[in-house]
This record gives sequence, C-alpha cells and structure tokens, in this order.
Amino acid sequence: MKYIDYVQLNPFQKLAYNLKNFFIALPGNIKKFFCALGRLIKNFFLGIGKGIGNYCSRFVKGDWATKLSYIIMGVGNAAHGQIVKGLIFLAVEVGYILYMVGFGWHYLSKFGTLGTEVQHREVINGARVSVPGDNSMLILLYGVLTIIITVLFFIIYIANTKSAYKAYQAKAAGEHLPTFKEEMKDMLDNKFHVTLLAFPCLTISIFTVLPLIFMILIAFTNYNAAHMPPGNLFTWVGFDTFAEIFRVTSSGAGAASKSATFVELTKWTIVWAIFATVLNYILGMIVALMINKKGIKLKALWRTLFVVTVAVPQFVTLLLMNQMLQVDGAINILLQNLGIISQPILFLNSTALVARITVIVVNIWVGIPYTILITSGILMNIPADLYESATIDGAGPARSFFSITLPYMLFVTTPYLITSFIGNINNFNVIYLLTNGGPTTTELYQAGYTDLLVTWLFKLTMDSKDYNLAAAVGILVFIVCATISLLTFNLTKSAKNEEEFS
Amino acid sequence: MTETNKIKGGYKTRRIIANAFIYILLAVLGIIWVSPLFYMILHSFRAEGLSSVPYLIPKTYTLDNYILLFTDTADLNFPRWFVNTFVVACFSCVISTLAVLMVSYSFSRMRFKARKPLINVGMILGMFPGFMTMIAIYYLLKAMGLTQTLVALVICYSAGAGLGYQISKGFFDTIPRALDEAATIDGATKNQIFWKIILPMSKPIIVYTVLTSFIGPWTDFILAKIIMGDKLENYTVAIGLQKMVSVTFMQSHFKRFLAGSVLVATPITILFLFMQRYYVEGVTAGGVKG
Amino acid sequence: MKKFIALLLAVLMMASVLAACGGGNTNSGTSSDAGSDSGKSGQASDPFAGQTDIQLKVWADTKVTALTEELCNKFKEQYPDKNIQIEVVAQGENDVTSQLLNDPETAADVFSFPSDQLTNLTTAKVIAEVFDEYRADVESRNSESSVKAATLDGQLWAFPETGDNGYYLVYDKRVVSDEDAKTLEGILEACRKAGKKFIMDAGNGFYSCVFPFTGGMKLEGIKDDVQQFNDYNEDEVVATMEAFATLMHEYSDVFESNSDNKIASGMDSAAGTCAAGIDGTWNAAAVEQALGENFGAAKLPTIKVNGEDKQMISLHGYKYIGVKEQSKFLEVAELLADFLTNEEAQIKRAEEVSWGPCNIKAAESEVVTKKPAVAAVLAQAEFSVPQVNMAATFWTPMANLGNELYKGDKYDTETIRTLLQKTVANIKDE
Repeated sequence: MKYIDYVQLNPFQKLAYNLKNFFIALPGNIKKFFCALGRLIKNFFLGIGKGIGNYCSRFVKGDWATKLSYIIMGVGNAAHGQIVKGLIFLAVEVGYILYMVGFGWHYLSKFGTLGTEVQHREVINGARVSVPGDNSMLILLYGVLTIIITVLFFIIYIANTKSAYKAYQAKAAGEHLPTFKEEMKDMLDNKFHVTLLAFPCLTISIFTVLPLIFMILIAFTNYNAAHMPPGNLFTWVGFDTFAEIFRVTSSGAGAASKSATFVELTKWTIVWAIFATVLNYILGMIVALMINKKGIKLKALWRTLFVVTVAVPQFVTLLLMNQMLQVDGAINILLQNLGIISQPILFLNSTALVARITVIVVNIWVGIPYTILITSGILMNIPADLYESATIDGAGPARSFFSITLPYMLFVTTPYLITSFIGNINNFNVIYLLTNGGPTTTELYQAGYTDLLVTWLFKLTMDSKDYNLAAAVGILVFIVCATISLLTFNLTKSAKNEEEFS
Repeated sequence: MTETNKIKGGYKTRRIIANAFIYILLAVLGIIWVSPLFYMILHSFRAEGLSSVPYLIPKTYTLDNYILLFTDTADLNFPRWFVNTFVVACFSCVISTLAVLMVSYSFSRMRFKARKPLINVGMILGMFPGFMTMIAIYYLLKAMGLTQTLVALVICYSAGAGLGYQISKGFFDTIPRALDEAATIDGATKNQIFWKIILPMSKPIIVYTVLTSFIGPWTDFILAKIIMGDKLENYTVAIGLQKMVSVTFMQSHFKRFLAGSVLVATPITILFLFMQRYYVEGVTAGGVKG
Repeated sequence: MKKFIALLLAVLMMASVLAACGGGNTNSGTSSDAGSDSGKSGQASDPFAGQTDIQLKVWADTKVTALTEELCNKFKEQYPDKNIQIEVVAQGENDVTSQLLNDPETAADVFSFPSDQLTNLTTAKVIAEVFDEYRADVESRNSESSVKAATLDGQLWAFPETGDNGYYLVYDKRVVSDEDAKTLEGILEACRKAGKKFIMDAGNGFYSCVFPFTGGMKLEGIKDDVQQFNDYNEDEVVATMEAFATLMHEYSDVFESNSDNKIASGMDSAAGTCAAGIDGTWNAAAVEQALGENFGAAKLPTIKVNGEDKQMISLHGYKYIGVKEQSKFLEVAELLADFLTNEEAQIKRAEEVSWGPCNIKAAESEVVTKKPAVAAVLAQAEFSVPQVNMAATFWTPMANLGNELYKGDKYDTETIRTLLQKTVANIKDE
C-alpha cells in the first residue's frame, strides 16, 4: 500500500492495517532480533580474537618506542613528537596504578567472598571498642568501581598501543603527524560527538551505570534483613532469590503468596501504565489543540493556567490531593455542599475500582500539563496546508485530528510516548503519596490494590529490608520494560526513517 | 450573492459557536486545574483551626504562617533550606541542560559507529527502579568526601541528565538537515553549527529542559534526605516540607506547609512565566520551515 | 619471541604491583585478632580509660533537642577534668534506624528510638548492649515491661527512656461526660446526640490491633523470623471483632476512621466537628490547647461483647536510648545513655514535653500524675500488649483487618473468622 492510499483510510482501518502489519512482521522481527543478538555475540568474540592478534602484531612490527609503550604508556607517541598526547597516556597509567595501590586492590581482592572478617569487640587500653569487620556492601560497590576503572584503563591502554604504532607508521612513511592542536580542532568538527558525549557519558557511567550493576549483583547475594552490614556479612548465592520469586506456594487459607502478588501487581501495573499514558497523551493534545486553535484569544493565559501546576513540586500537590480526597477533605465537602452526594465518598480506601479510577484521574491532572508543554511546540510545526486541504475535503475536527494530527504527532513523539509509558510503570510518586498502595486486602502479600510493582519494591526494601528480593524483582521489571521499549522503538517509523519529515 | 453570504454567515456562526464552546471548556478545565493551587494559597493564609477545617473558604486570614516560616527557625530552618535549594537548582539546571543538548545533538546530527547502541542503552538505563541505587550513590559520594554537601546534590541531579535526551532528540530531528548542510558548505564546523544554528532554533526544547531540571531539586525528598542525613543546615525545601507533614509537625505546621509550598512554587512559576515568551517565540521560529 | 618477552615483562610488573598491595593489606588486618572474646564481658572500671578527647553525637527528637542539650551539659559538668564534646542533633525518631543503617559511621553515638525499631537495630548489629555494670540498676529502676521489651537473647539492648508510646481516650467534656467515657457505646451515643464525630484510625495497624487484642490476642515475640502470638481463643477474638464491626456500622455517622491528627483539628473551635477519639500522646499538647479546660483524658473505654463489658486492650510501646556499637567512645556513650535515662531526666521530660516516664519512681511523681494525658496512657499501659520485637510484616495485614471491619459490608461471624485467619497467616507469612 502506498502512503497516499494509507492517508485516505479511516482511523480504524489504519489501526487494523498497522496491527496487521505489526503481527505479520512480528515473527520476522523477533527472528531478526535474535539473529542480530547472535551476530553481536559472534562479532564480539571475533573482535576479541582479532584484537589480540593486532595487539601482538603491532608489538612485533613496531619500533622500540612502540614496544616500550606496551609497558610505559605514551612513550611511542612522545618519541614521535606527540608529546602532550604521550604525557596524557602516561598520566593515565600513573593514576591507575596509584588508584589500585591506594584503594582499588583492597576491595577487588575480597570481591569473590564479599568479606570474611566479622565485626567484633576488643579491649584496647582498658576500654571496650568495636572493631569493624569487612563491609560486604562496600566491597561489592567499590569492587564494581574498580572493575569498571580497570576495563576503562584497559581500553585506554589498547588505544595507547594503537596510537603509538600509528605514529610510528606515519613517521616511517614520512606522513604528517597531526599535532595536538590539530587533533583538538578535529574534536570540534568531525569528532565533535566525542567532545559532546565525553562528559555526560562519564557522569552517567559513575552515577547511573555503576549503581545499576551494583544493584543487579545484589540480586545474586543474600543481602537481606538477616545479613545487614556492618554487623553481618553477606555473600553470593547465585540464582536462589529468583527461584524464590517463581516458587508457586499453595494459597487457600494460608498467607497471600508472593508469586500471586507478583502476577496481580504486574497486571495492574500494565493496565495503569496504558491508561495513564494514553489518556494523558490524547487529552493533553486535545487541550493543546484547543489552546492553539486559530481565533482563540488569551492563548498565554490558558496555557499558563494548566502549566502553572507543573511549577508546584509534585509531592506537594499530591499530598494536598491526598488531603482533599479524604473523608473530610475538600472534594467531599464540595460535593456535599453542591448536594451531589449525601454521604462522603471514600475515594482512596473503599473498593479497588474506585481507588484505581481515582489515581488514574488524579494522574491526568498531574500529567496533562506536561503533555501540553511538550506538544504545543511540535503541534505548531504541522504544516497548516495539510489542515486546509482536509477542511476543503469536508473533514471535521475529529477526522483531521485522527488523520493528520495524531499520525504526525505519533511520529515525532514516539520517544516521548515510550518514556512516559515506562515512566508510568515506574510512577512511584503518584501511588505512594496518594494511596500508599491502598485499599488493603488479605489477598496480596504486603501490598494493596493500587500498588505498582515499584511501590511494592519500595515497601519490601523499606519495611522488610529484603534487598536481594527487591533487586531481583527490579531486574524482572527492567527486562520487561527494556524489551517493550526496545522493540517498539526500533520497530516504529521514527527510528527507521529518522530523516523523513525534515 | 445572498446565497454566498448565507454560506459565509453559516460558516461564521458555526465557528463562533465552536469557539464559544472551546472557551467554556477551557474555562471549566482551567478552573479544575487551578483550584487545588487556589485552595493551597487560600488556606496558607488561614488563621483559625489546625491541620484541617470542615469548610472550603477560611473565615479569618493572617500572614502569620508565612512570618513564622522565617522567624521560627529553631526546628525547621526554612529560609536556609530555600536558599540551598535555589543554589542547587541553578547549578544543576545549567549543567543538565547543557548535558541534554549535547547528547541529543550528537544523537540527532552526528553519525558514528557507537551511535545506535548508545541510543538504545541510554533509553533503557532509566528504566531500573532507583531505590536500591541510592545507597550506592551515597557511598560513591562518600568516597569522594562529598556527602552532606550541596555539591553532592548538584552532582546527583545533573549526572544522569544526559539520559533525558529522547525528547530533545525528537525535536532536533524535526529541524531540517539542509540547514546544516548549507552551513557545512559555507565552511562551518560542527561545533559552530551546534552553537550558532541549532541552539538558536531550539528555544522551546531548551525552555522545556531548563524548566524540568530546575524543578527537580525542589521536588526530591528521598535521595536528598539520604545524602544529607542529619546535616540539617544543608537540607532542601523538599525534605523540609516533607518534615512539616510528618507525625511530629503535621498538627502545628500544616498551614506553614501550605505557605512554604506557595513560596516554593512562586520562583518556579515566575521563571516559567518569564520563559514562556521565549517559548512561544521559539515555537514560531521553529515553525517557519519548508 | 620479542612479544613474548614483553608480555612476560608486563605480567611480572603487574604481579609485583599486586603483591605489594596485597602485602600491605594483610599487615593492616592482623592486629585485630588479639583478645577478641574479652570484649563482651570485660568490665572497664573507668569509662574514660585511655581516652582523653571525647567527641559524641546525640540524636534526639526535635521536641527534646534543647532539653537533651541541657542534660548533656549537666553530664559534662560531672566530669570537669575531662574534655568532652557533645553535639546534639535533631533527628526524627522514625528515621533513626534507616539513617543508622545507611551510614553507621556518621550516625550518632547515642540515639533515641521507639521500640518497634529494635529488631532491625539488633539484627544489623549497630546497637551495643547495655553493659553489665549498668544493667542491674537499669532493670530495677524502670518498669518491668519496658525492660522486657528491650531484652532479647538474654541481653538488654537499650536504656528505657519513656513509657508512653501508646494511645488513650481523649474527649470533649462538654459532649462526653466522664461517665459516658467509660464505655465505647456511651461515647458514641453522646457524640451522636451532639452531632459530632468519634475519630479512630481503624486503617492503621498501630490502632486497629485493638480489635483482636481486646479479644485476648497477644504478641509473643519473634521465633525463627516469624511473629508469634499467644494461644488465644479464636471464638472470643472473633466475637470481639464482630462487636466492634457492628458498633462501627451502627454508628457509621459518628465513627470516623481518619488519621489521628484530625482529632485535634476537629476539636479546635474553628472546626468543632469532633468530640472524642483515640489519640497518641504526641498529639496531646495540641488537643489540650484546642479544648482547654474541657479536655478529658482517660484509659480506653470498654466495649460490650456478648453482654459483657470488655476493657479495650491497646498496643503499648516505649522509647529507648541506644548506643551505637561502632562508636569510638563506647564506654562514655554508655555512661551518657545511662545519665540521659535516669529518674531526673525522665521527670524533666515529663515536665517540659509531657513524655510519660517508664522509671518507676518518676512515674509516681506529682509532675506526671498531674498531666492528664500522660496519666491516662500510663493507666492504659496496664491494659495493653507491650510492643516486643515485632515482625515488619505485622503492620500491613493488621491495617487491612481494621479497614475491613470498618468499611466491609459483610461482617458476619464467618467472614470475620476468615479475615482473622488470613491476617494471622499474612503476618506470619506462612
């Protein structure tokens, strides 16, 4: 089907067409995904093999300076005139050695056991003192840090040998060797992305990636209430924690089972995420369209009315909402004064359905201003003649919304949609501050009907200190989120044809 | 003649009715959206009662709730925390905005081998629930000797900012590449294109990024609390406001909590109103394209 | 060949570096083995032995920061020849354990905490036991239940500080007479007549455990990580819960389940919607201010179960002062904790912030008996289940139990029996 035919379909036909295409393409895409994964792994090992080969051959073919730079980094470059570059390499090596001696090795050496020495008492100079033992948590954390730094160092080390060999070759061939200044200049042009990405990548790896690896590893330890540092040690237990999640316990008169809770909360989390995302998106866009409509005056005022709610910290508005939704809260008072209800409504704490609808509605209140913020700008980018021709064809506002606005917006804002979907799966604030998971029930383990997986995790961590369990559930949530978003993101048009529409 | 007039008139009345309908709808929605904030402001001036009263409009008004915020600082040093948050927000807002723009520009405009993997990794990194990582962040900062300082907060709030590239990358993608190409032919480097061509065209998205990253520090009460521990003088307003509604203070401080919330919302609102002009300007500028 | 030699060289170099680090490390570790067992029992005759400059940090609740500072200054005056520096930092009690576990190093040496946090503190081994030289004295001067609630595995883990972390009946004397206040039925009837509310947080495990406890259920500590209960009579517990549920539904226009801070604001003249409630001591000052001379406080009322008046049984907690195991000045910290919980300190707290003492003599002092709220809670303590070593899994199911009784539309005997069984199973997680 050509694009021109596609445009003429009505929204439902379009949806059907897209769904059909999606499912037809799904097996192929899944196959493609795994093929790509296989290729990736194959290429990885091939690359390593090749890398080792190159590493050795460079050493054999290089001159004395190249060879020396295999031990003392930067010599190769310095010897061929690239003094600054050479000094930087040398500084990296010295820094690494100092780090290992002063800090890293101590933790790395205990990484396998996560510590053996337990905290104990002693009498020193006639006073009782507690002597600290190993702290498994710090060993794990700083161990991961050391491993990352080592990997980074290794990459720089390899780059050093390459660079030394390259300098030697260029010198031997009598070519011009780029000076430090020239290389820096290139960093602002062809290699500008390196300059741009270096700083964000560094901070992200330290403050996001490293803690993540730490958390993932915790799922494979027995770090829980009974093994809390600093008084106790914890250690590696493999996949035991995951086994615990998937162990289906017989329910009945007994306690609510964890696996059943996991399943129930997963279902609600997905329903919640879909409703929260889609409603916020569509409704927000409709409001934005109304504000931006030709002939509507006071645009700034209308926009401000909505967006001003973004300016108030979310936890403040949510705590306020929580107060307003209580039995004696403002909303019940208002409804009673207006004569709509005679008995106060328990918005947050009666049945599952009422509470769930309430949180979704409140989330619309929270979310629409954000949608307005992000879409107004892009909505103005839609070429006006598209609408004009549609109006000439007799299309009403609803039709032009579904046939022009929505497809265009979906195309531009797919990443936003995915992030907000994932954001809603992990929407801690709204649930925690509004209902704290309530209404309660006997059927769920340490959770209520509006608890999302993420608030359940928080409760597990804070109340029962089951860090390993929480980490394992976190990993499962992550795997689901990551798969959904990677698949949708890479299968949608916006990723495939990034150059279109521009 | 009369026929066309009729059609014209019919079209006109239809448009007027439609617009009137939109005005009414916008007004109703606007009231719904603003009323909780209005309630907050109104009750922050309430003189009578304790944490709650069984009616909507306060009977007596006072400025005491605001005055006490600034004078009764023995337990809760609101002014100090306000300044702390403002400083942290300013620094982290500048750093995060730069980081976001840098990352999204390279992903949108540059083509290099690691681009696709980095985009994918960047997208999924933010999907882990973060509670467990907070303690790791704490000890990393401790190893740097930064815990219980405001610098640590700035680092925390801006370190991961680059991961929020999706939205602005989507925006950059809509700016025609022909502009870049023309500039390249004129001999501009990528650096110059970034600063002189793309950024001036990106005000809406810059405003968006500035706003969100400026608001961040005012709303975080979990990570900030972990980093500051018992160092009361380095708390931020979010922790302070959270404290005011805790069991110990709720009864006596709820009205002050509302007053404090109003004060927190004020600078952000002003910033927003101030930025909105540029925001609209940027949108119209971005709209002029072939 | 050349590359082989180079590789060898590199490996050798790395190895030597690693070996150097490893060596340094073992050296620093060996000294700690000496006399490891002597720690627990060893008695130091002088707490200041071997220490000259002493720096201690104390965490006290915001309400008592100034008072604690004053007490600490008195403590310093007792040892004029020593250089003691004490920093008192305000710390919300509910955050104590989480902050201690986050970073024991920067945490306070001496800290005040409510009894439900003790289990976490002892399992993580961040709290030091009360040393033998103080123990006998501490045990004899404080109430038996307050000591018992901090005793675990034969060790006393903290110095009892207050005995009033519980709740009591508060009422407006204009609406509820002292006679009415003796029975729950009487209170609800009086409130209904005046068109005012009775507030109790039935959706909070801390309060809602009253329902089964009144029927004879008790906590028996933790065994193998599982919460234990006494051998209660299920029929009796169910009947009691049913009586509560029936009453709550019969008086649904009067009985309001709401957070306890709504009691004081409801009693304030601005609102005037609430006439009685079950409230914690931490709100007492606000309620007293709201009601003035009409402030009534008493132990919890009785409820009619099968024609018989039953005293409502509450959950009663304590506050303790603990010493951080990792403290550099363990000995002095214990001395200070002992000082901060003695009779004089407890009376001072009752005097200034109305915290009810657990010290036997202090509890009898006039200062305490004159404070109606404190006296009421201490009277209620007699009819209470002490908050001993509770499992973290207790609160959520118990909150649910209260909620179901309050808002459930079915409250026949069998539904309630299932609810009770499910709740116990969920708490035990079996």
